[in-house]
Amino acid sequence: MFRPRVLLLSALLLGGTASAANLTVFAAASLTDAFTELGRAFDARTGHATTFQFAGSQALRTQLGQGARADVYASANAAQYDPLVAGGLVAAGQPFVRNRLAIITPRGSRVATLADLARPGVKVVLADKAVPVGDYARRMLAAIDKSGSYGKDFSARVMRNVVSEEPNVRQVALKVGLGEADAAVVYATDVTPALKATVRVIALPSRFNQSASYPIGVVRASTNAAAAQAFVAYVLSPDGQKILRKWGFQAPQ
Amino acid sequence: MRARRTVPPALPLGLSLLLVAFLLLPVAALLLRGLNAEFLPTLASEAVGDALRVSLLTTGITLLLTVGLVTPVAWLLARTHFPGKAVLETLLDLPIVLPPVVAGVGLLLAFGRNGLLGPPLEIAGIGIAFSPAAVVLAQLFTSAPFYLRTARAGFASFDPEVEAAARTDGAGGWAVFRFVTLPLAFPFLLEGLVLTWARALGEFGATILFAGSLQGRTRTVTLAIYAAMESDLGPALVLSAVMVFVAFALLLVVRVAAGRRG
Repeated sequence: MFRPRVLLLSALLLGGTASAANLTVFAAASLTDAFTELGRAFDARTGHATTFQFAGSQALRTQLGQGARADVYASANAAQYDPLVAGGLVAAGQPFVRNRLAIITPRGSRVATLADLARPGVKVVLADKAVPVGDYARRMLAAIDKSGSYGKDFSARVMRNVVSEEPNVRQVALKVGLGEADAAVVYATDVTPALKATVRVIALPSRFNQSASYPIGVVRASTNAAAAQAFVAYVLSPDGQKILRKWGFQAPQ
Repeated sequence: MRARRTVPPALPLGLSLLLVAFLLLPVAALLLRGLNAEFLPTLASEAVGDALRVSLLTTGITLLLTVGLVTPVAWLLARTHFPGKAVLETLLDLPIVLPPVVAGVGLLLAFGRNGLLGPPLEIAGIGIAFSPAAVVLAQLFTSAPFYLRTARAGFASFDPEVEAAARTDGAGGWAVFRFVTLPLAFPFLLEGLVLTWARALGEFGATILFAGSLQGRTRTVTLAIYAAMESDLGPALVLSAVMVFVAFALLLVVRVAAGRRG
C-alpha cells in the first residue's frame, strides 16, 4: 500500500501540474512503435493519459489545418510541419530525432541489389510523394541519378516499376511484409523486430541516403499546454531519447 | 373533395427538421466548396480524369461480371429448395456485413502472392495484387451480394406458374426467361444493379489493401479523394462534388425502379 502513493507523489512532482491530463499526440506513422513505448513510460511517470494518432504526417497536417483537436504534433519532416507554424497553429518545431531510409524486400526475393530495383517486372511500392518518406525516397532516387552510378535514367526506370503509392510508411512496409511487393523504400526504423522476420534490407550506399529530421511541438489550441510541454520535454530528455534510440532513431543534429 | 390536411405535432416535426438539416448540411457544404471557379479546370486535370476513368472502367467490369455470374445464382436460389439453403444464402450475404478492410485481408490471403491461390496463379503468370483486376475483385466481393439479394427477391416476386404457362404454350427455356421471367423481375434487377454500382464506386478499404493506389491504374475516385485530401484539397473537393451528383442520380434510378415494381 506504500508504493502506489510514492508513485503518485512522484507523478505529481514530475508532471508539474496538479491534475492528470488527457493528452492527444498526433505523430508520424514511423513513430508508431517508439512513441507507443515512450507514451507508456511518460504516463507511468507523470500520471497523464496519452493517446496517439499515428498516420502519414501529411494526413495529420491536413487534420490539424481543419481544426482537429490535439496537444502535440510530431512530423517526419519540416515540409509537413512548418506550414502549420506559419499558420499560427503549432509552436515552432524542435528537431528530436533523425531517421534514415532503408530498402526492403521479402525474404528469398530475387531483388538483391540496388540495381535490381530498375529491372523490368520488379514490383516496387513507395509512399505517395506528399508523404514525407515518399518525398525522401524520390530525393534518394534523384541523388542516384545525379551520381550516374546506375545510369542517368535509373529513377525513371524504378518509377516505371512502382505499382502503388501508399498513404503512409507502415502501409508501404506492410506490402513487402506480406510478400506482395518485391521492394519498397521505408525508414530504417520501420524494420522493426516484427518486420525483420519477413524482410531483408538491401544495402544502400550512405551517399544516396537521406537524413530525415523530425520536428515536434505543442499545438497552439491545446487545452493542456503544460502537460503537452511536459511530453515534448520528455521526448527530448535522456530517458525519452533512450527509448527512441532503442527503436533505431538517431540523435537530432 | 378537399384533401384533409392536419398540422403535424410539434415534436416529431421538430425532430424531422433537425434530421433533414443534419443530412443535408454536409451535402450542401460539399457542393458549396466543390462547385467553385476551379471546378471545370480541376475536372479536366489529369489526376481527376484518371480517377474517373479508373472508376468507370473497373466498376463497369464489376457490373458485367455481376450480371453474368450472379443472375443465374439468384434465379436458382429463388426457384430451388435444398437442405442447407439458408446457410448458403447467409454465407453469400456475408460480404454485405463484413468490414471492407476484412474483405481486403481475405482477398489478399486468397489471391495474394502468398495466398491460397497465389502459387498456381504465379505459375500461370497472373499477378493480381496491385492490378486493376484486384480493384475489380475487391468491388465484386463487396458489392455483388447487393445484386444477389434484390435479384433473388425479384425472381421470387411472381408465381413460377407464369413461366410454366408460357412453357405449355410452346416457348423454349431461353424464350421463357427472356420474355417472361426477365421483364417481370427487371425492376428488381435494375435496383440491385444500381446498389451494386454505388457500393463499387465507394469501395475503399478492400481496394487500398489489395490493389494499392496508383494514379491511372488502381487509384479510383474514392482513393483519389483520400490521396488528394492529404496534399491538394482542390481535386478532393471537386471529386466529392461529382460523387454527390452521381449518388443522387443513382438513388433516383433506384426510386423509379422501385416505383415500377409496385
